[in-house]
Amino acid sequence: MSYKVITRPLKRIDAREKVTGEAKFGADLNFSGQLYAKTVYSRYPHARVLSINTEKAEALHGVEAVITAADVPGENELFGRFPVFAEKEVKYTGDGVAMVAATSKSIAEKAASLVEVEYEELPAVLTIEEALAHGAALVHTDAPGNFIENTHHLMRAGDVERGFEEADIILEKTYRTQFVEHGYIEPEVVIALPEPYRRGVEIHGSIQNPYSIRENVARALNLRISEVRVIPGNLGGSFGGKDESVMLMAARTAITALKTGRPVKMVLTREESILESAKRHSYKAKYKIGARKGGTIVALENTIYTQGGAYNNKARFANWRASVHAAGPYRIPNVKTDLYGVYTNTIYGGAFRGFSAPQVVFCNESLMDELAAELGISPKEIRLKNCLKPGDELVTGQVLRPGKIPAPLKQMIEEVCSRSDFDRKREEFSAGNSGDEPVKRGIGLACTFRGTGLGGEGIDTAGATVTIEKDGSVNIVSNLNEMGQGMRTAHAQIVAETLGISYGRITFSPTDTSVVPDGGPTVASRGTLAGGNAMLIAAQKLKERLLMEAGKILNCSWEGLVIEDEIIQYRGKEKLSITFDELIPRCIMERGLTLSAQGWYNPGPEELDPETGRGNAYPSYIYGCAVAEIRVNTLTGKLDVDRITAAYELGRVINPQIVKGQLMGGLIQGMGYGIMEDTETKEGYLITRNFDELMLPTSLDIPEIDIILYETDQNIGPYGAKGIGEIGVELSAPAIANALFHATGRRVRELPMNLERVLLGRALKR
Amino acid sequence: MQEFDFVKAKSLDHACTMLAGKRGRAKVIAGGTDLMIGLRNHRLSEEVDTIMDISGVGELAYIREEGELIRIGAGTTHAELALSSILWEAAPVLSMAAKSIGSPQIRNRGTIGGNIITSAPCADTVPALLVLDAALLLRRGESVRQVQIADFFEGPYRVKAAEDELLLEISFRRLRDGAKSLFDKLTRRNALAKARMNIAVIALQDKNKVVKDLRISLGSTTPIPCRFTDAERLFLGKVPRREDFLKAGQIISSEMVEKSGYRWSTDYKKPVVEALTAAALKRVLKAE
Repeated sequence: MSYKVITRPLKRIDAREKVTGEAKFGADLNFSGQLYAKTVYSRYPHARVLSINTEKAEALHGVEAVITAADVPGENELFGRFPVFAEKEVKYTGDGVAMVAATSKSIAEKAASLVEVEYEELPAVLTIEEALAHGAALVHTDAPGNFIENTHHLMRAGDVERGFEEADIILEKTYRTQFVEHGYIEPEVVIALPEPYRRGVEIHGSIQNPYSIRENVARALNLRISEVRVIPGNLGGSFGGKDESVMLMAARTAITALKTGRPVKMVLTREESILESAKRHSYKAKYKIGARKGGTIVALENTIYTQGGAYNNKARFANWRASVHAAGPYRIPNVKTDLYGVYTNTIYGGAFRGFSAPQVVFCNESLMDELAAELGISPKEIRLKNCLKPGDELVTGQVLRPGKIPAPLKQMIEEVCSRSDFDRKREEFSAGNSGDEPVKRGIGLACTFRGTGLGGEGIDTAGATVTIEKDGSVNIVSNLNEMGQGMRTAHAQIVAETLGISYGRITFSPTDTSVVPDGGPTVASRGTLAGGNAMLIAAQKLKERLLMEAGKILNCSWEGLVIEDEIIQYRGKEKLSITFDELIPRCIMERGLTLSAQGWYNPGPEELDPETGRGNAYPSYIYGCAVAEIRVNTLTGKLDVDRITAAYELGRVINPQIVKGQLMGGLIQGMGYGIMEDTETKEGYLITRNFDELMLPTSLDIPEIDIILYETDQNIGPYGAKGIGEIGVELSAPAIANALFHATGRRVRELPMNLERVLLGRALKR
Repeated sequence: MQEFDFVKAKSLDHACTMLAGKRGRAKVIAGGTDLMIGLRNHRLSEEVDTIMDISGVGELAYIREEGELIRIGAGTTHAELALSSILWEAAPVLSMAAKSIGSPQIRNRGTIGGNIITSAPCADTVPALLVLDAALLLRRGESVRQVQIADFFEGPYRVKAAEDELLLEISFRRLRDGAKSLFDKLTRRNALAKARMNIAVIALQDKNKVVKDLRISLGSTTPIPCRFTDAERLFLGKVPRREDFLKAGQIISSEMVEKSGYRWSTDYKKPVVEALTAAALKRVLKAE
């Protein structure tokens, strides 16, 4: 099949505005008479709120409102138990107890410092161990054991007891990962305005998931969902992060907007953003694996605790995703997996690119190398022997039937190893490392697979509207959101391909909850998969409408007509044709047809057995394999990544430039996670509050990256595409950890592998 | 943010008169790479009512060669230092230090004078200037004084200068013929990172490998940045022995623990100070 628009590296549809700076972001918007809002944060990780005195703040000239939980018209507790304002108790230092709104930013800042809150400190639990200890203080008194509601997910396949009996070797290891911040370049912003024409509120801002925020704001304001309109503007990155804190900002500013009758704007400082926004969950993962002497894995058991923080609405989904992937991309007959979310009086876990995969894949792939070392076989061999192959059964019971779910992992491992010269370099580096030179080199391998879309997390719907205008321009609008990932461009390419027209005809409108129906959140690498399918469905409806009309005009049966290069033509009869530009005005002005169509993609629910966790967890899977080459100074612990060679299977590439950009960005973000980034705390207070401490990789830290793309057919997405937003982030940390072990013979089981952990094997606390 | 008057100094005289008149209520801004962060974090003293910008004072930006002496205006940026061919030839240790700082943006704004006056423990030009035995020229009102950089620091972020005193110039002798120098730093990433530790060394050996001169300084190591003369003395007048490289590192790490106490980071810093020192000495000294 040859394509005209998709599979090409076309320029992003919104590149010009963004590159020239014409594109407006939330913070660029200003409304006449707007107030500036600032949150008053908790002073303690855990304390009872005895009193809040707002008098001094209210008395300050320019202050228009000071609001607390008492001012919330509807429910104060939102999804995941996040309070709009902490009322009786603060549960971490990012809790908001009050918010001030004033006529200038500096007055708001001053007023916030004048709000007097009297506290009585309570004992705080700050780590997974503290939270699970017998007799530990409770973060939520109705959550016994500090277990987060609905977060225990499991997987049961075969019989692990019997499996371990069959094993010649059993390894038990514990791995830990840290909370990390997304580090998007644009801090959170929300502007709420009283609806000018009707009852309700209109909300603009850096909002990843406008529909869930609309629903929560409606609850807090005691409004109907339809009375809240959310228009996310351009987003300067999100990676899963602009969600919970933005929900609270939206509720707080919307309450104030309706109370004062004025627009209320809130822009977080970087320090506030890092304090109040979600982090990638911190994990403590205990693994037990059994294998035969030859390297065949016979059983795997793991218990994984995910630190959820003070409030949490993502572990219930992320832990489920983890339960499907916790045995890795391997054929293991006996598996027992349990995941538990744990409350602590700390910053909280949320969605962050990968959604449990970066943690789980770090653990799994470190373990595979530990097992290989123990068995005395190579990391490549153990993976080739055990990796999922066509016909294999997944831990979920799904069978990798050719033509249904592809399974090219073995071939990918072989190709990545040969392209990176893995075997030879392993020997060469080992030989070179035996001398006195303090700088050692290492090479490491890691593999992954990833269920596409939401799968059993929820129904993977998406909506789209495609409208052809009189002049032949075509406008698209999705319920899913552009955050910099390039989704709009993929959608435009899919629509242009389907309609047989040029990409240049496509324009887009931003998402708007009052315009497009709620098709769920922009998560789970489903922008192209689900969102693209909705676009495809809408475009196909329009195409059919156009062909039927052209059939009438040309006096032929429409089934024989095709659109190609903007000409509608009867197959094989050149004279029976009409151009797109001729057809459109005739449809609209002469025939009164609507050339606006809605596409709705609904794959239906996935069936799962709650007793075992097994079933059709995801409709399909994608695969990845990477080799990292590193240098490490054994005297200082300084680790540099020289090169990453990676392969990804992703169905169909809609835009190769964007796909490679996404995967490289993911690999680099994963490298930062692996070796640099951390969120340091001291007694429940967050120390890492800005980019100087956050240690995101810079351009000078980025290795050479070589990416191989695998395309496969018969996939569920538009033109066979699947999703690639997240998989890129998964492999860097384990591949580097394995390379580090190769270089030094020492295994680091905790992230990040920073100077101290590499040199001393442990982190140091201030 | 704190409110203050912002005054742009027109000349050196204007700046000094202004500072003298303000009696400590004025704060000088040069590149602003430290002061702006301080302002944002509310670290500026409440007594300050004026910020005086000296970044436009051309009289403070120069690198001059006068015979053996190199003179650098305090307002010279790190980028200018890193690009100066005079400096690469006369004192590459300082060029390397300046080149390693932050990012292009920070090097374009930040100045050598600011690096000294802020006196962060991790300041990169400071160890380089210590091994160069630099002298500082300061002016207060009409009076001018000179002080050795080794005597200028009082502690982390504290220098022995009055609030209304302005640093004018940094000067030092060029490296002697045949001298080798080195600057190295350890960071958590390869740009935009404070030095976890840094080291500057100057060494001179005669043709028989006898050490005629050796100067070692490490940053982020002691509360008051200094040269490590005990370690230097281990080599002076002798032909270096390989085992002395690590021994010098141990002398320095003991001095660090003695002066800084055993801190949260010492478990890491102690072996690394030893390793950095040994590696640096190995690179600049020929052993027997």
